[in-house]
Amino acid sequence: MTLRGNSRLARLAAILAFAPVLVSAAPPAELSVQIVDKAGIPLRDAVIEIARPAGDTRPVAFGWRNAMAQRDLAFIPGTLIVPQGSVVAFPNLDKVRHSIYSFSKPARFKIDLYGRDQTRTQRFDISGSVSLGCNIHDAMRGYIRVVSTPYAAKTDAGGNAQIPGLGRGSYSVVVWHPTLAGAGNEWRGQLSAVPGQRSRIVVSIQPRAAR
Amino acid sequence: MKGWLRRLAVRSRTLGGRIALLFIALLALVMTTIMVVAGSGIGLFAHQAAGRDLASNARVFERILSDRESQMAQAAGVVARDFGFREALATGDRATVASALVSLRERTQAQEVAVIELDGRLIPSAEGRQIDGAAIVASLNEGRDTGVVRLDGTLAMAAAVPVELPDLIGWLVVIKPLGPQEIAELARLSAVQVQGRVVERARLDPALAGLALGEVGELETADGAVLTQVSALQPMQAGIEPRLVLVYPLALAMQGFSKLQWLLALIGLGGAVAGAWLGLRIAQDISRPLGSLAQAVRQYGAGTVAKVPVAGASELRSLARSFNGMVNAVEERERQITHASLHDSLTGLPNRRFFIEKLDRAVARQTAGNRNLIAFIDVDDFKAINDTLGHPMGDALLRHVARVLQERFPEAMVARFGGDEFGLLLPGLEPDADCANVARSIDAALNNDVLIDGRQLALSCSFGIAVGPQDAVDSDNLLKCADLALYRAKNDGKGTFHFFEPALDEEASRRRHLEIDLRRAIRDGEFELYFQPLYSLTEERVKGFEALIRWPHPQRGMISPVDFIPIAEESGLIVQLGEWVLREACHHAATWPDNISVAVNISPRQLMGDGLQQCVVQALAATGLAPTRLELEITESVFIGSIERTLKLLHGLRSLGVRVALDDFGTGYSSLSYLRSFPFDKLKIDQSFVRALDDDASAHAIVRAITTLADALSMETLAEGVESAEHRETLRQAGCQMIQGYLISKPMTAAAASAFIASAPKREVAA
Repeated sequence: MTLRGNSRLARLAAILAFAPVLVSAAPPAELSVQIVDKAGIPLRDAVIEIARPAGDTRPVAFGWRNAMAQRDLAFIPGTLIVPQGSVVAFPNLDKVRHSIYSFSKPARFKIDLYGRDQTRTQRFDISGSVSLGCNIHDAMRGYIRVVSTPYAAKTDAGGNAQIPGLGRGSYSVVVWHPTLAGAGNEWRGQLSAVPGQRSRIVVSIQPRAAR
Repeated sequence: MKGWLRRLAVRSRTLGGRIALLFIALLALVMTTIMVVAGSGIGLFAHQAAGRDLASNARVFERILSDRESQMAQAAGVVARDFGFREALATGDRATVASALVSLRERTQAQEVAVIELDGRLIPSAEGRQIDGAAIVASLNEGRDTGVVRLDGTLAMAAAVPVELPDLIGWLVVIKPLGPQEIAELARLSAVQVQGRVVERARLDPALAGLALGEVGELETADGAVLTQVSALQPMQAGIEPRLVLVYPLALAMQGFSKLQWLLALIGLGGAVAGAWLGLRIAQDISRPLGSLAQAVRQYGAGTVAKVPVAGASELRSLARSFNGMVNAVEERERQITHASLHDSLTGLPNRRFFIEKLDRAVARQTAGNRNLIAFIDVDDFKAINDTLGHPMGDALLRHVARVLQERFPEAMVARFGGDEFGLLLPGLEPDADCANVARSIDAALNNDVLIDGRQLALSCSFGIAVGPQDAVDSDNLLKCADLALYRAKNDGKGTFHFFEPALDEEASRRRHLEIDLRRAIRDGEFELYFQPLYSLTEERVKGFEALIRWPHPQRGMISPVDFIPIAEESGLIVQLGEWVLREACHHAATWPDNISVAVNISPRQLMGDGLQQCVVQALAATGLAPTRLELEITESVFIGSIERTLKLLHGLRSLGVRVALDDFGTGYSSLSYLRSFPFDKLKIDQSFVRALDDDASAHAIVRAITTLADALSMETLAEGVESAEHRETLRQAGCQMIQGYLISKPMTAAAASAFIASAPKREVAA
């Protein structure tokens, strides 16, 4: 069913691509999604992944660096989306040293203490979410979402995310956020997108995080 | 203590007792009030303090619990953050995790340590624990990470720390028991001995369940009253409501304070006893001097001279001093009064009363061998001395007499009886003592010339002497004897003395009887008037009669006026007698021819009274006799006394027309000044001069001088006691105008007088 939907979309996209006159008046295809919790509060830094439609060959690449820096005893950016198989750099911009670890299933690793202006790297071959911690700074949290689709984005402070390259259609969507209730802190569902219209996804978050 | 109270009860009517009783009562009241107020205050305070203790204890308990839980959380935190432990958890190494939990449990001496995952699944340190993971997670999700949980059905304290990989995947929970043993251990850490337990709200006693949380309440239990507080403990598991129940036995709480109350009671009792003792002391300090003062007053009232000791407080000393001063003053005044009442102020001699007291005592002891001599002394004619020389001189004379007597008889008691009378008591005379010698000695001392204020005076005293027991055996009679003797001495002619003789007593008795008879005679009209003619030499006729009273006594015959007139004078009967004579004389004279007058003798006593003029007027009015026909004869003695008064009276009588003659001229204290100040109508020359005419040439000269003087003063002269014709002729030659005497006629009855008048012309021829 998903495949069939995807091919229809792809066909539609192909038609549209070949009929520039017809669609020249239409805006560029972009999917606008807002994530809110049950109370209606926008959820920031939630990752929205939309599965690659069938036949889509778009390379998995994003417009940001695959790097998770440490500055002011925090991971910058707190949530990083990287393509599957990419190597992520961990530059230490702090004066103190850090020791980064992960007990997450997609990537279990531990980087021993390293100092300022040093960089360590780690390769992420399995998609999924990786929680990063610093062994000596308990409060530091960083998340890397390893994806296998080019259609992924994270929400801003208003809970909004724009995913370019997708037009009208129904998509299989995964929303991930560390506080999200549910297995793997993920929400999965279908989204019917209308170009120029913002889709809203309401998710439930963990009771503890809601406080 | 018992005797003390009895004494107090006895004294409650006394001032001291009242003070003490009041003091004790007040003190007891104050002490009781203080004890009640302070006691209840202490009780209240203790109660509140116990309540506060309990409340603070509850806070301490909660604090200790929370401290314990923090400690548990700290210990758990170390493990929860341990990298290895987290790695073991992350990799699902259950055996390692379990061993780490056991290790933690033992290290913290906890009952159970477990990991509870977010979905409530449990990783315990040992199998078989009953822990409601989901309920605990529900609590933890609400932020309550310490508190009470239920472990194996009982309440326990727990602390949870998050397990983060680095995201939260569950909780490491440390659980410790909260049984009686642990609570007791906690209780030891608090300041006061409270008992506590932790129970679920549903299992609370109804009594406790009714209490507001955090409020201290008081409950009655089988072990007595207790203070109790129920407070909520934080649960770390949904669905349970743990309560901390603290119990504080009131007896235990009040233990310290009841000691304080006992001490207070002891102090109160001690204060009351000390106050009572002090009250008694003060009361005694006041009442003892008052008592001795009262006793002294009683003694003083009974007649003893009592003084009180000057001691104690200054007021009491002052009171005692005042009292003693008063006693002294009263003593002194009494002494003065006694002295005044027993002494004469002029001479300082004892008075009559004192004399008689002394005499009474002396007479009581007298025997034939121990005799008492008393002398009654009277200054002769003292009245005349006083009148002529003045009272100061008279007083000086009396003082002289007193001094002389005291000096001469130092062993005797000399007293002044008043006026010019003195008494002398010479007690203890021996049988052979010469009383006559004593009398002579008195006589020699008193009858002397004395020099007073530079003036020579012939002092003349008469005195009578009586000696006990021979004259009388009691003092009254002895005094009477001496008085009679004095009377006799006076009668004997003054300036002399007389011893008492029984005859004197008889005479006195006769005089008394005579006085009685005299009264009766006046009442019964026994008297008669006789008349003696008064013959005028110039006219050679009888010009009048002198009325003379006669008393023909029924038993004793005719009694001479010489005998009864003095008695009448002394007794005052002379006034009545004189009035009768006046009326009777006027009555007879009224029957006579108009040229014949009547002369009536007027006693000095009559002149002294007020009624004479009235009496004369009445007599004249009653008989119709012309005043010029009445002649009043007065003696010179009337001028001894108030001369002014006498003169006034005589002038009054003369203004009526009555003539006044001076009787017995030349015998008394004649003074020419009287003649000048009162122009008498007639001078009657005393018969002693007439009798002396026979053999005394000087008598002739005196008569001549009198008639010449009388002539010069325009007065008539009449010679009394003319018995012979020679006398008559001599008097005629001497210029005397009238004569009276036996030559003319003896006194005669009224009837005879009338006859005499009728026959007068014939006799006139015969003469």
